[in-house]
Amino acid sequence: MNSKIELPRVAKGKKPIYLDERSIDNLMAMIMTLTQEISVLRDRLDTIEKLLVNKKSITLEDIETFEPDDDLIKERKDRRQMLLKRVLLPIDKELEK
Amino acid sequence: MSSSKQKHSMQPQPNHDESVRQDFVTDLRAFLTDEIYPKITPYYEKNVETKFIKEKNRKPKDKNEVRDLMLKDNAYQSWSLLQRLSQQMMFTSVIDTVERTLDDLIERSKKNNDLGSLKLDNKIDMPRYLTAYDIHQQPGGYHTESTEDDVSPGVVYDISLPIYSRNSMGSENDLLSQAIIGHIEKYIDNLKPEKILDMGCAIGNSTLPFAKIFPDSEIHGIDVASPCLRYAHARANALGVTAHFSQQNAEKTDFSNETFDLVTSCLFLHETSHDAVPKIINESYRLLKPGGWMIHLDVYPFHRDAIEPLYDFLKDWEVTNNNENFSGALRNMDLPKIFEDAGFSKESIEFTSAEAVAKYTKGYTGDFYLKLPIYLAQKPHRQ
Repeated sequence: MNSKIELPRVAKGKKPIYLDERSIDNLMAMIMTLTQEISVLRDRLDTIEKLLVNKKSITLEDIETFEPDDDLIKERKDRRQMLLKRVLLPIDKELEK
Repeated sequence: MSSSKQKHSMQPQPNHDESVRQDFVTDLRAFLTDEIYPKITPYYEKNVETKFIKEKNRKPKDKNEVRDLMLKDNAYQSWSLLQRLSQQMMFTSVIDTVERTLDDLIERSKKNNDLGSLKLDNKIDMPRYLTAYDIHQQPGGYHTESTEDDVSPGVVYDISLPIYSRNSMGSENDLLSQAIIGHIEKYIDNLKPEKILDMGCAIGNSTLPFAKIFPDSEIHGIDVASPCLRYAHARANALGVTAHFSQQNAEKTDFSNETFDLVTSCLFLHETSHDAVPKIINESYRLLKPGGWMIHLDVYPFHRDAIEPLYDFLKDWEVTNNNENFSGALRNMDLPKIFEDAGFSKESIEFTSAEAVAKYTKGYTGDFYLKLPIYLAQKPHRQ
């Protein structure tokens, strides 16, 4: 994602509307919670990766007490922004019309 | 900085996943504010407004017409829904930690109580403006007791604030009262208050800075929500600050006439009601000594000049989408008249945007909150 060229990500053509009621609100809530859990899993994996670089084996305690440094906090922040950009792309693009 | 680190000993330590779950919400709110929200105005102008002009040959005239258009617009509504969800996700992710650690937090709150005092009143009438809906969508509001000696609503509030404000309120969430203190230095000569009252103090985050700036003053905080007050007292002790908290309604307190030199509040009036505001101002007047000052900081600029209808509409977002039901109506109240009717000197009434520099606040990163208005008024000196 370092390239400055932005390739198109939404295909032209008719976009039929399927839902327009409470159920779509609930779906959005479910999608955002799932996105949050993906982010949690990704950060947990990241913690484990960082710990394993220095050690052959790690304990649950190591994971729970892991303190990311400022660089890693920034790295995670950027990754979450990319995740959100991907997940929320349809809405982002809709507002760019 | 991660938003989920302990700032003092009365805050719980989130476990690994809770911590990064809270970080996700901070970043979601940043994404919605920085990436999505700026697109709303150009989108509105290019699409919604253009269509309206084609049909009616004029622009929408006020926020009500804009609202009718925007609530039917799926793109706007998607942002609005996401913004609302981010608030819900913030509370859920924080409540996980508080619920898991609550027994320990309650135990700690009972041990940390040597400084200052705490006076609760279990017969207090809870005002309907707090019980009819949960302000800011905090589940259970400020007041709900989920267990004996509960402190949980206070803890939830304390660790949600940095997520809500994107860490811009300082490490002790005290940016707003620092702005008030900046104003005192700017507008009031030689104020040396013996007694200070902070109304609607909740967890006391805006109460405690006065103790540091005026170390010889006696500091009081009142609120109707007992679990917040228990936490406020324990939190003050954790931070080593002496303050006296009591469970009272600011519309009518049990303090004697002319008790205080300074009566203040931070983001309190907009969480009350149309009937309550004049009562709170009258009570502020009654409690002040002659020559004493009343200072309220609250949301919404006081300018009544023509605001762009879209901007006017967007300003009201929190009213209907985040259970700040009264904040829109507060904008339309004539506060200078209410102050004058209560007896405050007309020439001393100041309505000013808080441009103060928060020079005493560590770790404060943004100036959004310093644009909030501060309302100052003085009780006349005795003739």
